[in-house]
Amino acid sequence: MKTKILVLEDDNSISQLICMNLEAAGFLTIPILDGLEAQAYLQTEQSKEISLALVDVMLPGKDGFSLMEDFQKVDIPVIYLTAKDDVISKVQGLKSGAEDYMVKPFEILELLVRIEKVLERTGRGREMIQIHDVSIHLKEHSVTKNGVPILLKPMEYELLVTLASNKNIALSREELLQRIWGTDFIGETRTVDVHIAQLRKKLDFHQVIRTVSKTGYRLEEL
Amino acid sequence: MKLWKKLSLVTITVMLLTTGISGAITLNQTFSYNQKKTVESYEKQLGTTAYALERELDKSRINEYGETTKNAYLSYLMKKFGSTQYILLEDYKVAYNMTPFLLTTTKLEQFGQNDIMTVIQKTDTQYTLITGKRIPYIGEHEYGLILVQDISELYRDMKKQLGFYIGFGVITTLLAVILVFLLTKRILRPLKELESASKDISSGNLDRRAVVTTRDEIGMLAKSFNYMADKMEQQMHDITNESERRKQMLGSLTHELKTPMTSIIGYADTLLHVNVRKEQQEIALTHIHDECRRLERLSGKLMNLIGMYDNDSICFESVSMLELFQRVAELERENLSKKGIRLEYSCDMKDRMADSDLLESLLINLIDNAAKASEEGMTIWLTGQGNVITVQDEGCGIPKEELAHVTEAFYMVDKVRSRKSGGCGLGLALCSQIAQLHHATISIDSRLGEGTTVTVTFEEEMT
Repeated sequence: MKTKILVLEDDNSISQLICMNLEAAGFLTIPILDGLEAQAYLQTEQSKEISLALVDVMLPGKDGFSLMEDFQKVDIPVIYLTAKDDVISKVQGLKSGAEDYMVKPFEILELLVRIEKVLERTGRGREMIQIHDVSIHLKEHSVTKNGVPILLKPMEYELLVTLASNKNIALSREELLQRIWGTDFIGETRTVDVHIAQLRKKLDFHQVIRTVSKTGYRLEEL
Repeated sequence: MKLWKKLSLVTITVMLLTTGISGAITLNQTFSYNQKKTVESYEKQLGTTAYALERELDKSRINEYGETTKNAYLSYLMKKFGSTQYILLEDYKVAYNMTPFLLTTTKLEQFGQNDIMTVIQKTDTQYTLITGKRIPYIGEHEYGLILVQDISELYRDMKKQLGFYIGFGVITTLLAVILVFLLTKRILRPLKELESASKDISSGNLDRRAVVTTRDEIGMLAKSFNYMADKMEQQMHDITNESERRKQMLGSLTHELKTPMTSIIGYADTLLHVNVRKEQQEIALTHIHDECRRLERLSGKLMNLIGMYDNDSICFESVSMLELFQRVAELERENLSKKGIRLEYSCDMKDRMADSDLLESLLINLIDNAAKASEEGMTIWLTGQGNVITVQDEGCGIPKEELAHVTEAFYMVDKVRSRKSGGCGLGLALCSQIAQLHHATISIDSRLGEGTTVTVTFEEEMT
């Protein structure tokens, strides 16, 4: 089952933008444009399925800060999204119990990482990622293709997880290097290429892991 | 030196000088008068005695007396008229002197003339009046009479009086000094209040006023000081308000810019890096397009708003209001007919001095606003009558509590709805700016669900 994320943002265009990206990355989204509407939604049974909420601070009806209580009642972690780029707002947001705080304009990649971290931290992390016929078992650190276990080296596994959790989103070689090998890794971007080639071969992902010219790699699944 | 000290010192100096001089003159005059009186009285006494002696000498036969008899007779005469005071001269020589004084002067002739001669002689301890006159007896010898009198008493009195005067003067002066000090300090006390008030004000306590109730120049000064403080406070208030307004406007502007930017960057980023379906790509592109259009509109309106502060670009000329109305109606026709809204206009206004482009923009903005509030089948009335233009619609109206804010830049009553219909919250801010330039006022009357009437009232006649 896909993870459900509540997107509470009053600007229709930004709301659609976030939803579009989250859906591409493999999440289900529920966009709500109004604060009072969100409050009403949280009273319903459906809200139980929500794993995380992205909340704009300035909202019509009821603002994001005062909605915090409602989110805490149903135990949904909150990441604030706001155009307010001042320390006081950030402190207020985080103190009120939010898991994270992002200032607009933000990059989707960063948002995805933060969502991932919050989900992991609150124990809502995914146990398995399914891509075509390949299943990644995050708890067991194992990969199966059509039920048959595939042996991957640690770095190859990490690379696959990173690509799979940013499904459909292009990641640059530098980005991958930094995320998987760490900032102090002294190596070339060629390292990434070698591991990608291994993954493609072992999983028969030649059509799934695409090379995006001038950018890097993207794991595609629509 | 402090002002009250200066004033006191000047007053005291002047007071001392005048009382000193007038006192000295008065004392001197009194003394001279007393002295003159004393001298005159003794001279009179001398004259009388001299006359009496002459009578006695006339009656006697002094010329026939021998030396001894004569001396005895003279002695008898002198004793009779008061020998302790008088000295008798015979042929300008002392003939009889029983006074305690000894004449030492050799110029005895001066006391033997027909006119009275008076001399005041000063010795170490006393003042002596010497006055002499010829006894008008004609005989063998010339006789003169001299009166000698100790008049030290007169001088002693004088000295006493002077001492008394000085003592009294010192005491009164001391009292006066204290009084002057206290009074000047009291009179100048409001200055201290003024000083502390101005200190308070300059340290930021703007509502402080000087409390001075006197009606003198200081009171007037305090009054005008308070007036100045009032004006200053008012101006400070205005400036603070203005800067607050600017700050808010800048804040809203950044927010208005940030929102479309976030979408544009986000969608462009998505298109570049994310593998999304074809129809989603189209949605992304539409959003980018819409947001760019919004930015374009925003920058256009902003340019208008900023341009208006630059007064050179505004040119006032005689504008035919009827033609203006026709032009506006023509411009709005397509836009309104698409939405199914009718525009009815009537104009009964004289030509007036105005910037026709700006007025056009004002009317178009007002009609656009009315159109946004209206629904299909509704009518918008544009009416010009005398000095008043009204734009009336039968749309959704504006909530009462929002009315005060609608002319603020970037203020939108219904954000979501406003954005959908292409608004950016600058229209009415622009309108009120244009109205201000034309010395006109904008008032808005609105009832929820019944419609809104915007009234632009021009001043009687602009020249």
